[in-house]
Amino acid sequence: MEQPHSILTGAEAVLNVQPNSSLSVTYDTLFGSSDNHMLLELHDEILPDLLHQSITLRGEPNEDVVLCTLSKTYAVKFVGTSNSVFLIPPSRHQFTQNGQQSVASVIEISPGNMELIETAPRLDRLKTLLAQNPYSSMEALQADDMEDDSKESKMGLCTWHDLVNKIQASDDELRNGLEALSAVEIDGFWRIVDEKYMGEILTMLLQNSILNDWSLDKLDEDEVVTSLVTDGFPHKLAYHCLHVYGSEVDEARGKSCVWTLDARRVCVHFARQVLGVGKMKLERFMEMWLKKIPDGMNANLEMLEGEVLTEKVGIEMWVRGFSVASLPSNPAERFSVLFRERPKWESKDLQHYIRDLKVPGLSSEGLLLKYTRRTQPTQDAEPVFTAR
Amino acid sequence: MQIEVKCSCGAENCPEWAIVELQGVVEVQPSHRDGIQNLEIGRLCRPSSDEKYTLTIGYHELSGTKVTLKKPLAVLKKVKRTDDGDDSSSKVELDVVGVIRHKILFKTRPKALISKPPEPAVKERASGTSSKN
Repeated sequence: MEQPHSILTGAEAVLNVQPNSSLSVTYDTLFGSSDNHMLLELHDEILPDLLHQSITLRGEPNEDVVLCTLSKTYAVKFVGTSNSVFLIPPSRHQFTQNGQQSVASVIEISPGNMELIETAPRLDRLKTLLAQNPYSSMEALQADDMEDDSKESKMGLCTWHDLVNKIQASDDELRNGLEALSAVEIDGFWRIVDEKYMGEILTMLLQNSILNDWSLDKLDEDEVVTSLVTDGFPHKLAYHCLHVYGSEVDEARGKSCVWTLDARRVCVHFARQVLGVGKMKLERFMEMWLKKIPDGMNANLEMLEGEVLTEKVGIEMWVRGFSVASLPSNPAERFSVLFRERPKWESKDLQHYIRDLKVPGLSSEGLLLKYTRRTQPTQDAEPVFTAR
Repeated sequence: MQIEVKCSCGAENCPEWAIVELQGVVEVQPSHRDGIQNLEIGRLCRPSSDEKYTLTIGYHELSGTKVTLKKPLAVLKKVKRTDDGDDSSSKVELDVVGVIRHKILFKTRPKALISKPPEPAVKERASGTSSKN
């Protein structure tokens, strides 16, 4: 056997065994003396975030841990093996004994490794957490009187840092979740604003628009916010109202931003208000709803897809509120609630109540296949979906 | 709760670790069970210029090959970081101390060597086929 020119030890030795040569594999001096190392499967897509120190494991002790990059969430699964996996570090982790010999030493025997499976962020908890303390008009009034930060009022409120520690989602997904809930950061805490309060601010905005002859698709941010503050609403919430019910129009030109009210969002708001009392006949609903819609805005029933359900009772059409935003984001729970509400669904209605479900690797067809049973009474009839 | 995953070696310089994997369990003779540190497990040989390897443990010889992992493995170590030596405000971090891209995998039935060497300190006990849980 030839002697290698330079004597390698450790991992380098194992990975560079020369033809016609051999090395001794031993238990390391420190074998069995330290905490186990963990082996984690690396996907190409998480490497950049790993290099930028942007990977975290998130979860409470009683939850299954998830790994989060800046924008994605992965479930972590431990896969065991009955093979003996001898883990060999590079040579600076051991002392070479008997300098002439090529030696590789084993620091431990690994029981398995961790695999990553891309998963939907777990955002239902966010909804529950923020719904515990919605920001209401009462709180807005008290805020003016409070001189110091009374700690009791901050109990149960969450900062961004609190949310990151409690919610199993990546930063980007968490931000999107907050956006979807129309949450707003007030005094460093993330809050959902009480719906009634938002309605008051919107109503005032619409009244001011009439008084000042503003065009609803060319609202000047400064003018709107100033008028609402004059009417007694906090500055932050006046701005938030524009954000919830409108969109910025691009031609800002260095001055105050210009906003346009989104017809669908405004109409949905008033529909929810009308149906707040419960179900009613469709005719009656349309009458009351259209009365509330601002002049110049057109309302139609298509806008309410995913927000209301209509059904024929006898010869009359009835309508009731049923908002997709109030449903769980976990697919199994979502379908369970949907089928409890209605045992049979037609695709044209069902699609609006699953349009926001995102499961990595599963299309909406795939979701239907997995969680529903599809029947088609005759060739020409509409397919109907029921629980599996 | 959040545990940060850091790469203190600075990714480009992440040292490469190695794995030698075999089906079965290695047993240490009772006389050597106290203090197996530094004990030889066996000899890893590369008989020719092929990427074929043998591992001799006791009087068994295993045959294997060098395999490139489909997905590399990061080697992580738990690190407890205390702020100013204050134990109550310590946080746990995971540090990437290495990466594994290749392993030497032995998955054939061991061959008993004809000439039996003196009673080995370490011997290999085959357990048949491996199973991933």
